Amino acid sequence: MEPNETKKVRTAVIGLGKLGILHMSVVNMIPRAELCAIADVNKGLAKYVEQAGIKAPFYSDTGKMLAEVKPDAAVLCTPPFANLSVSEQCLVRDMDLFTEKPLAHTFDAAKKMMALISGRKVVNATGYLFAHMGIYKRAKAILSEGTLGKLFRVRSGVYTSEVFSKKKGWLYDPEKAGGGAVINIASHLLYVLYWFFGTAKTVTAQTRHIYSDVEDAGSALLEFEGGIQGTLDVSWSVPGYRLPHTEITIEGDNGTMELTNDYLKLYLYKAHKTYPKEWLTIHKIDLPSTSRFEIGAEGLYEEDEDFIHRAADRGRPAVTWADAFEVQRMVEAIYRSAEAKTTIRTGDLT
Amino acid sequence: MTVPIDKLILGANPFEGVSYQSRTLSVQYQERFAKEENVAAVFEAAYNSGVRAITCSNTPNVIGALARFPKTKEMKIYPVIPNAYEYAMEASEKGVLGAVLSKAKGFSLYQKVRLGVRALSKIKSVLTKDVMDLLLELLDFEMQSFSKLNIGGVFLHGQLTDMALSSHNPDILSIFTDVIRDQFKTEPMLATHNFGVLLPQLMEWGVKVPIMAPFNSKGFMMKPTQAECESLAATSGYQIIAKKVLAGGRLSPEEAFPYLLDKRHDAVVVGIGSVPEAYHTFTVAKKILGL
Repeated sequence: MEPNETKKVRTAVIGLGKLGILHMSVVNMIPRAELCAIADVNKGLAKYVEQAGIKAPFYSDTGKMLAEVKPDAAVLCTPPFANLSVSEQCLVRDMDLFTEKPLAHTFDAAKKMMALISGRKVVNATGYLFAHMGIYKRAKAILSEGTLGKLFRVRSGVYTSEVFSKKKGWLYDPEKAGGGAVINIASHLLYVLYWFFGTAKTVTAQTRHIYSDVEDAGSALLEFEGGIQGTLDVSWSVPGYRLPHTEITIEGDNGTMELTNDYLKLYLYKAHKTYPKEWLTIHKIDLPSTSRFEIGAEGLYEEDEDFIHRAADRGRPAVTWADAFEVQRMVEAIYRSAEAKTTIRTGDLT
Repeated sequence: MTVPIDKLILGANPFEGVSYQSRTLSVQYQERFAKEENVAAVFEAAYNSGVRAITCSNTPNVIGALARFPKTKEMKIYPVIPNAYEYAMEASEKGVLGAVLSKAKGFSLYQKVRLGVRALSKIKSVLTKDVMDLLLELLDFEMQSFSKLNIGGVFLHGQLTDMALSSHNPDILSIFTDVIRDQFKTEPMLATHNFGVLLPQLMEWGVKVPIMAPFNSKGFMMKPTQAECESLAATSGYQIIAKKVLAGGRLSPEEAFPYLLDKRHDAVVVGIGSVPEAYHTFTVAKKILGL
């Protein structure tokens, strides 16, 4: 697609699960996007789309939709095991692609997806939502300004109260999901750690099956560039977390930063630029709004708008497939380490 | 037509464990309000402070507290339906439609007894995934929880309102307003987190009902912008129920309520996390707003 300041990006949404419905709603509200088609293998959803008043045509055959509608771009909300095949269908048409996270259900599939975009001038993005949330963007800026000084350690965890018995569905099927709490929940946290510190060089991990055929919990020791030591803990089987909760504490030689979904708290030994000595708390509520519409979650509109605008101006989205591939590399290292009970060097994963 | 709405309404977010401030507070709310008597104690404090209205979903602790609170009959209840959080939790396993369908399957059997023949005829909607019929079934089902209460109006949940808004189609909202008026003989109202986007669309569609939306001096959750929301509130002629006036708890009542003095609004909803907070917040609200 050539840069054009006024042309709308004709965008299809493929996959109409929970996130597909939200992305469909958001894309339909972005002025520079035209929701041109919806596809899902479940034919029964045609009636839902029609009755929800969505004007875009519904297809149960993605190939047919691509051939007939010829979208400029697509938002892939298919289960991760379908991402490779659907991406192939789209990329032979040189379409710009947004894929929900994770990039794929396996490291091999993710590698094949990266090969698909190699040499193609397509805009590619992935749905690691935290990149678009105000509090995380502020935390990134604070780190980038060197506020904490030389960084030593990071401790992190993500928890949700979701799985307390054996559940059905692709999300709990190892073949289709590629894993459990690590790939589906902790991948968001791994993205933040990658965004802040780069790809972990080494990973030593354990995972735990409690109720599911996929892991319900896991923990990992991580070592990042510059000798930063990290820990990560995840569980989707702990009570008291009505929504997923992320917590990160970063330690440096000028203080610490505690970061959650709701606020960040700084303690600095010495003032740095506009940040005072000792305590400062910044609540997400105090940060200016960055979206003109909100549904489902903070950042979802910004995420889709970023993709649509970059598709229009041929720029680089905030989170590319290359970024998502590095997350996938760390996920793979966690699984391999847990299985082999040894430390994995992520650089060895090719 | 102006719909009668109570000026001061007790919200229910804390009763459902919702905190915009911290997980610590969320856990405190979850623990405290898991006991119906603690929810009822806040009802009592609100009542003693002069509040005669509550807005809530059909969460069991709140419904249970309404049943045990002796003054419930003196309170107007404004249900928020459907209970979107409950469906969202099931959606990761069953898909969105699956979550709704599983709920619908359960209540169809239940309704065989409660609603008689009418419910039996609706089972078809479950099998055919007829969205409009399913929406009607959800309304029926959830309104059962409130059937013995004094209903002041019924809000469509913000997620549903905003989803309908994003489809650029008035049908879902029209069906909701018609059903609430015709079947439940009360006033339909819309909750939204996108007031400044919704209102121009409602005006274009000719849908005029009271709107519950965030209004606060920080501009928290005021979409697309605080200025656009304030301008529309001042000029549109819609009845407005201001929520999130305390900006998710970042403002004290003393800081928060003066903001509303020069803003056109018909009612205020405030969620309360404890008995002392109820007395303090409603006392300050009444004093500043002259209620």
